[in-house]
Amino acid sequence: MRKGILEYCILLLLSKEKAYSSDIMQKLQAARLIVVEGTLYPLLTRLKNSELLAYHWIESTQGPPRKYYELTDKGKAFLNELESSWTELHNTISHIKNKQINNS
Amino acid sequence: MKKTLTVNLGGTVFNIDEDAFQLLEKYLANLKVHFSREDGTDEILSDFELRISEILSDKIRAGYNVITIDDVEAVIKRMGKVEDLCENDFRDDDSKKTQSSAGSQQQPRGERIGRRLFRNEDDKMLGGVCSGLAAYMGWDPTPVRLLAFVLIFVWAVSIPIYIVLWMLVPPARTATEKLQMRGENVTVENIGKTVTDGFEKLSSKMNEFAKSEKSRSSMQRFADVVVELIGIALKCIGILIGVALLPALIVIVVSLFFAFLGLMIGAISGSFGLLSHLMPSLDWSHLGNNSLWGLTLLAIFGILLVGIPLAGLLHGILSAIFKWKPWSEATKWAMLILWFIALVFGIIIAAHYGYIWEQWGWRFWRYMY
Repeated sequence: MRKGILEYCILLLLSKEKAYSSDIMQKLQAARLIVVEGTLYPLLTRLKNSELLAYHWIESTQGPPRKYYELTDKGKAFLNELESSWTELHNTISHIKNKQINNS
Repeated sequence: MKKTLTVNLGGTVFNIDEDAFQLLEKYLANLKVHFSREDGTDEILSDFELRISEILSDKIRAGYNVITIDDVEAVIKRMGKVEDLCENDFRDDDSKKTQSSAGSQQQPRGERIGRRLFRNEDDKMLGGVCSGLAAYMGWDPTPVRLLAFVLIFVWAVSIPIYIVLWMLVPPARTATEKLQMRGENVTVENIGKTVTDGFEKLSSKMNEFAKSEKSRSSMQRFADVVVELIGIALKCIGILIGVALLPALIVIVVSLFFAFLGLMIGAISGSFGLLSHLMPSLDWSHLGNNSLWGLTLLAIFGILLVGIPLAGLLHGILSAIFKWKPWSEATKWAMLILWFIALVFGIIIAAHYGYIWEQWGWRFWRYMY
């Protein structure tokens, strides 16, 4: 459950702008979605292997060159799908919740 | 005071304390095992290395010269212990689910017990064959050794069997292989244990080396000496054979060279006058002009077929004696490919001119007898 949401969040973050893995990390940590950094790298690689993400190397002023990730077209399409299913899920849950509140 | 090492981590050079290095190496090894089931293991690992290198670079920029064990511990805490990563792993959850639903006897994926036969070089008398066999069977090595010792007298064939096993069975070198040898689960914890065991063994071995070879019993040391003597004797015999063969090999190679030259000249002049002069009763008309090139090519390929292995052998012997550099991989491959081409073309041409050759051979036979 949590993992699926994590992937969704990563795609969401990258849909706005391309980002370096540490930036993604910081945003996720700010949202308290991720505790340890190690979780992110296998996820990014998995997303890249399923061609939802692509990356290129950009030189960094401090330290080694960095991998900047961005969404591919396939990734964008996938994100749209996820979005619609998420809205659906959200509607269902809020519907049930509202019902419970009404009943009680 | 601590010893430091210099390591290249994600393209940056760090000075790192020895204990910190061991911890980091263990951590990376564990990660490798953990992610070995996924696609792109190397990529994930290099991401990890890059990130660790970045975190440590910050430390260096802050003015510290050396990476200490505390730094590495902080990094590991930040990146997450391998156990923490397991918890978040979707697939592990899946496999746990299937495990609980299918009953407890089913092993999780990738962790089933697969015993493999290795030589146990950590505990050996001669080659570690008995010890490895004992580990494979799950027995104590001593009875196996006793049995092997008795077998030598009862059944002489056991000696060559032992030697063949020694040559064929690979030694258990990596942590995974050592675990497989003992039939233990290849899990992250076990690997970690073996890796640390290895370190302890290594450091204690170094201590022994400094003091005395106490931990290897006198029997084992005697066996070591015997092994070394046998090795030296084998090497001597090899060199002797090489020296004995050398003149013959040189003669063969030189004569092959001249045969080649002669054939080329013969082909160019395009006549078999000399041959027909030497063997007048043979009917040379069968080897007309059209087959002359075939004959020449066949001879060239034949020379290559015999010459390349011979040259390799010769070079091997000479390099053993004069300590030449062995052939580079590229040369070896080139030679092999050339040899193969010669083989294929030789067969094709031989088949093409088969009829003439048959005739020729038959006449030659009759001429000789």
